[in-house]
Amino acid sequence: MELEGTQELQADPQTVWAALFDRDVLERAIPGCETLEQTAETEFAATVKLKVGPVSARFKGGVELSDIVPLVSCTLSGKGSGGIAGFAKGAARVTLEDLGETTRLTYSADAAVGGKLASLGNRLIKSTAQKLAGEFFANFEAILAEQAEPAPVPEPAE
Amino acid sequence: MTLQDTNTAAARAPHIGQAHRRQTARRHLAGRGRFVSDIVLPRMLHAAFVRSPMARGRILEIDTRDAEQSPGVVRVFTARDLNPSCKPWTGTLDHFATMVSAPQNILAEEEVLWAGHPVAMVLARTRAEAEDACELVMLDIEEGEACVDGHAALTGDAPRAAPGLDSNLCFQTVLETMAVDAAFAGAAHVVEGDFTFGRHTAVTLEPRSVVADFDAASEQLTVHHGTQTPYQFQDIYARHFGLAESRVRVIAPDIGGSFGMKLHLYNEEMATVAASLKLGRPVKFVADRLESFVSDIHARDHKVSARMALDAEGTILAMEVDDMTQIGAFSTYPRTSVAEGNQVVRLMGAPYRMPDYRGRLSVVFQNKVQTSQYRAVGHPIACAVTEALVDKAAARLGLDPFEIRARNVVPDDAYPFVSATGYSFEKLSHEACLAKLRELMDYDALRAEQAALRERGIYRGIGIAPFVEITNPGAAFYGVGGARISAQDGAVVRLTPSGEVQCAISVTEQGQGTETIISQIVADQLGVAPEQVKVTTGDTDTTPSGGATWACRGAGIGGETALRAGRKLQGQILALAGQILQSDPADLALADGHVVDAQSGTRRMPLAEIGRIATYRPDTLPEGADNSLTAAEHFAPSGYPFDFTNGIQASLVEVDVETGIVRLLKHWVVEDCGRIINPLLVDEQIRGGVVQGLGPALFEECLYDETGQMTNASLADYLVPMACEMPDIVIGHVETPTNDTILGAKGVGEAGTAAAGAAALNAVNDALSPFKAEIRQTPMTPLRILAALGHV
Repeated sequence: MELEGTQELQADPQTVWAALFDRDVLERAIPGCETLEQTAETEFAATVKLKVGPVSARFKGGVELSDIVPLVSCTLSGKGSGGIAGFAKGAARVTLEDLGETTRLTYSADAAVGGKLASLGNRLIKSTAQKLAGEFFANFEAILAEQAEPAPVPEPAE
Repeated sequence: MTLQDTNTAAARAPHIGQAHRRQTARRHLAGRGRFVSDIVLPRMLHAAFVRSPMARGRILEIDTRDAEQSPGVVRVFTARDLNPSCKPWTGTLDHFATMVSAPQNILAEEEVLWAGHPVAMVLARTRAEAEDACELVMLDIEEGEACVDGHAALTGDAPRAAPGLDSNLCFQTVLETMAVDAAFAGAAHVVEGDFTFGRHTAVTLEPRSVVADFDAASEQLTVHHGTQTPYQFQDIYARHFGLAESRVRVIAPDIGGSFGMKLHLYNEEMATVAASLKLGRPVKFVADRLESFVSDIHARDHKVSARMALDAEGTILAMEVDDMTQIGAFSTYPRTSVAEGNQVVRLMGAPYRMPDYRGRLSVVFQNKVQTSQYRAVGHPIACAVTEALVDKAAARLGLDPFEIRARNVVPDDAYPFVSATGYSFEKLSHEACLAKLRELMDYDALRAEQAALRERGIYRGIGIAPFVEITNPGAAFYGVGGARISAQDGAVVRLTPSGEVQCAISVTEQGQGTETIISQIVADQLGVAPEQVKVTTGDTDTTPSGGATWACRGAGIGGETALRAGRKLQGQILALAGQILQSDPADLALADGHVVDAQSGTRRMPLAEIGRIATYRPDTLPEGADNSLTAAEHFAPSGYPFDFTNGIQASLVEVDVETGIVRLLKHWVVEDCGRIINPLLVDEQIRGGVVQGLGPALFEECLYDETGQMTNASLADYLVPMACEMPDIVIGHVETPTNDTILGAKGVGEAGTAAAGAAALNAVNDALSPFKAEIRQTPMTPLRILAALGHV
């Protein structure tokens, strides 16, 4: 299954790039993410709870970043096992383009699922994946916007 | 009273040939069915399975600790716990020389070989608790490369579908006559085509279900098993678990459909028995619909290249066929997965005089669910390929489809006849069936209507397909290959003290009415009404051992067994009556519940009186009189290795050439199953069979992605044929009894399935003919039809 998309983010490439490698940002942005641990500089271990059609499962898996061209592009590959619900695996190439004030993020992913997810959810996988990608970027953008705002000035103590 | 000739068939067989409703119908309709799914035993545990999510992989770790702590869980078993208790099984037979298959055992040991392969078994107080615990079993599998496509699997560097295989070829055979090449070289016309037949599955109303109950104190294993073949499973459970056969009882109660799917050995049933043996408690497994899709055998999955040679007049000279059939990672046990392909290459061109033939069969392993025998084994493939080529030849020669078939079918007066593929036909009736079908469907009027509608842009098609069906198999099917599968059947018939009749017989009932036809046959031998004959089936402790129900043998072989047992008891009753009445038994007969005078029909004494005297007052009988009112008889078919039947089907369709949607407008079947025992049930079998033939022709397909994942394993995505899509089915009969038996009945259960798809395929291609478009793949989905039309 192939997924492609672009997203224009209200931040410069440096900010976007840093956020993409920021554990805290990713944990908040990934839909259904329960835990995310950085196990190495470019490796993360995650637990994500997802529902695809009639199948809901807690996926445990890892994500690795590779082919890194700083500020320009990288590949995220991951694999998750959802117990008897099956498994999901895939890789996405993410590219950033500097538009001055903003950054255009382009992704192209190839993903596969197996087990019950494939048997029961096949019709829904692509639409679910697209929905999840949309949720991820909405969350990601909200976090970027939050970071761009100046930190609230604490009320002076009386 | 007028004199009656009680010796004519009609007088002696007043119930054979009559429509009687299925005796189980009222009970089922009243909700009083007793299926394995309904059985609840004290201390019973429920099983659920953890299955491989991958088509091929190596098991690195199975962690069951969390699952074991889950509420309600009693035990979690893996291969290490269960497999040592079971002797492995291997799905090969000696008469398929050189065939290979890897041995199998209960749960996956080191490698998983299809998506759905059971890896662990959870036993809990309820199925829901067992399923919840399955989610807690952590399975670490290193994914391997799966064999998905059969042609790719045969290349030298392809990964093997199972460990220990030298190649992915399970079996190969070539069948040929001497002059096949010369026939093609000298032919005026050669037509050819490549065909693809998808996988589909049985989708029984009641899924596979089993309750195993081992009592350690008496060393008795009782298995309540939704199967067609209880004796076969009694033998398997005894041999593979090292038990005494007499201590293994298999009971097959009401069964919600089987269609061949429920006579194969499955991992889950073996696991259920193994778990009960280990725990000494009853264990129940009922497959849910998703499990059924990834563990019940699938059917078909063929790629066929075929060509046909004809002379200038349209006489078929020869066929050459190459069938590649894809069967999963193992050949199924104990009947193998080769029989399907074997019948494909042997049934090609079966209705025709065709003198020469070459058929090559390659049976190939892949990492998918196993395929094996399903209703009409091999027939729909052979019929569709043959009849598509015949239609193609007719179009080439400008002959009407009826005309080219009339020129080529084996004439009704040419029997016995041996086909180019080596089958011996005792007596078939193709010419009579062709003539009857033409009249039944009003063929000329339909062609006129078709032409008129085409003028208005409405594209209808008419397809016909003669067929030959294999029924009443003897030991040549499996026994000669070393399989412990009985070709004979047994019946015990007894007269009760009240003068009623009970018959315990080895053929089984799955809703087709086996018990009803047996009661009709026995009733006629003993001069009673079928309602007075209670028939018992499906229990290895209370019925004699036999082959049971498969390959259209229930009526022909089981019916003959019942007839012979009934006649034996008739002889005993008449001998006893002769002594009581001081008459020569030859002058007596049984009718209307009485011993009657054979010549005049005058009643001499009621059967109830015979029962009373023999049971309660044997002291009043003359000395030496035999008061036995029980007769046992076993019957094994001899003579022809099979009793072939024949018939012809026709389909009328309308194709929407804009959307590719096919509407089935009407279907006709003319069938010759020999002596008809119950016309109502024969027609039911034909109609049901036709629907199961039309399903895979237009709707049903198990779809897989390129990694071996089945992607439509639910009834939301897998299309079963529904009543609203099915056409009216008009049925006609020709009756050519076999002389191999007294009864003269042949089988009918698979006839509908054998040719329905072929007729529909020809009908769709007829509808597409104005566009020079052709479809050679089933199911004929709208997308495939649009592709054939060049629209997509």
